[in-house]
Amino acid sequence: MNVIELKNLTKMYGKSRGIRNISFNVEEGEIFGFIGPNGAGKSTTIRTMLSLIYPTSGSALIFGKDSVKFAPEIKREIGYLPSEVFYYDNMKVKDLLKYSASFYKKDCSHRISQLSKMLDLDLNKKIDDLSFGNKKKVGIVQGLLHEPKLIILDEPTSGLDPLMQQKFFDLLKEENKKGTTILFSSHILSEVQKMCDRVAIIKEGELVKVEKISTLKENNHKRFKLETKMPVSQGFFQMDGVQNLEVKDQITSFLYSGNINSVLEKLTQLELTNLWIEEPDLEEIFLHYYEKENEDEYFSP
Amino acid sequence: MNIFLHELKVYRKSTIVWTLSLAAVLVLFMSMFPGLTKDAADFQKLLQGYPEPVRKAFGISLESITSLLGFYSYVFSYIVLCGCIQAMNLGVSILSKEAREKTADFLLTKPVTRSQVVSAKLLAAISSLIMTNIIFLAAAAMTTLSVSQKPFDMGTFLMISLSAFLVECMFLALGVLVAAVMSIKSVLPISLGTVFAFYILNMLGSVIGEKAVRYLTPFKYYDTAYIIRHASYEPRFIFIEALFIVIAVSASYIIYSKKDIHAV
Repeated sequence: MNVIELKNLTKMYGKSRGIRNISFNVEEGEIFGFIGPNGAGKSTTIRTMLSLIYPTSGSALIFGKDSVKFAPEIKREIGYLPSEVFYYDNMKVKDLLKYSASFYKKDCSHRISQLSKMLDLDLNKKIDDLSFGNKKKVGIVQGLLHEPKLIILDEPTSGLDPLMQQKFFDLLKEENKKGTTILFSSHILSEVQKMCDRVAIIKEGELVKVEKISTLKENNHKRFKLETKMPVSQGFFQMDGVQNLEVKDQITSFLYSGNINSVLEKLTQLELTNLWIEEPDLEEIFLHYYEKENEDEYFSP
Repeated sequence: MNIFLHELKVYRKSTIVWTLSLAAVLVLFMSMFPGLTKDAADFQKLLQGYPEPVRKAFGISLESITSLLGFYSYVFSYIVLCGCIQAMNLGVSILSKEAREKTADFLLTKPVTRSQVVSAKLLAAISSLIMTNIIFLAAAAMTTLSVSQKPFDMGTFLMISLSAFLVECMFLALGVLVAAVMSIKSVLPISLGTVFAFYILNMLGSVIGEKAVRYLTPFKYYDTAYIIRHASYEPRFIFIEALFIVIAVSASYIIYSKKDIHAV
């Protein structure tokens, strides 16, 4: 079953900014990553799903229901953590969480104390007196206290120290094991890589690709780095599948996707002193997506 | 219901402060009344010294100012002004709070419709106003009874006092509409500016005696002199007020429901 179904979701602000024709599905029980640089349209997409903003065209179905028409009903089962958290400043943490819980027709008090203990959050402090990181913790508790079926996280880790991030990720994985679907938006690839099963890449308001993390990493992309006695001539590695070629004196490095044998054949023609073949990290592959697009733009008339 | 209670709690302190201040101002002024009636003739003579336009602008009528209800109406006109500032403030602030304090991401991702949010907030604002008016009315009635030497018409007194609430409702509706339409950074300049603009219009209207101004400023809708004479409100203005409130409030519902809530 699809928990999220975006169909040509479009939101235009004036002419330029916004998102265009975003379509992808998130299945039940998935941890789905949503990555792209700042300003790519991640938040716009998420806010449209939450009907904080309304689509210009296209639609978003959550739990199979239209996100605008059935907004209150859908939101009963959504937990949302915004990238920047703001709450009523002169409330106590305890009162804010109680207020938040009062919107859901269930008793959340046990869950509140459990979560805040886990995250080491002082319930008796005023929101105003909390540090940014602690406010974020309030956000996490607030988003999870009603045990939602879908958790939407918009760049959730900013402000959390690494230890807390780890706790938070563990918490999310635990929720996921119970069957909760998670949409995880981020511009930090390593955390998406760590958490997610599949990922949607968005750039300048358009969907670039939806891919399994594993395929994205495999995809026959290998990072080659070689040391040769003599510098390799520029034209030597002119072949299909070679990208990001860099030659610095004796060191040559490039990213390769394609038949491994043909590149190995090439290599045998060189006198190597050293050779590294590595799994590229997502960041590299991802940057590659951008660079390629940029080049296309650069060369288009 | 939870939003209503939450909002009521948020505005509790300011409602109490407004209520006490309004009551205190009235008690202070009304306690001058016995001294004033003792030297009624001198007082009238003193007021005669002011040019007529000034007297008109401030709503001083020589004939009635020395009567209890006349004096009450005069003092009351300032109470209405303050009450309207409270009402407009409340209206603008309560509906723009999510945008100003950036808490929209909290409230509007909860399982409630935007209309439910508006309803709860409107209800909380009106309840605060009603609370203020009830307590004020009690304080005003007690003070007035204790300073009056001659019996006066309690019905008329109540009608005058109630007119404050009626005018306040208009400013509340206006405030909510303004908050729905505009993105508001700070509340006070907007509410103070609007209320004073209408009040000055009211003063100008009194000076030049232009009848049309009566329709433009809510401060002129419930003329105390008319209430004292007829023991009733002018139906025409009740109708206009009702119409204005219905339009302003429905527009607020529609606009607030269709509004895009942007990230901060």
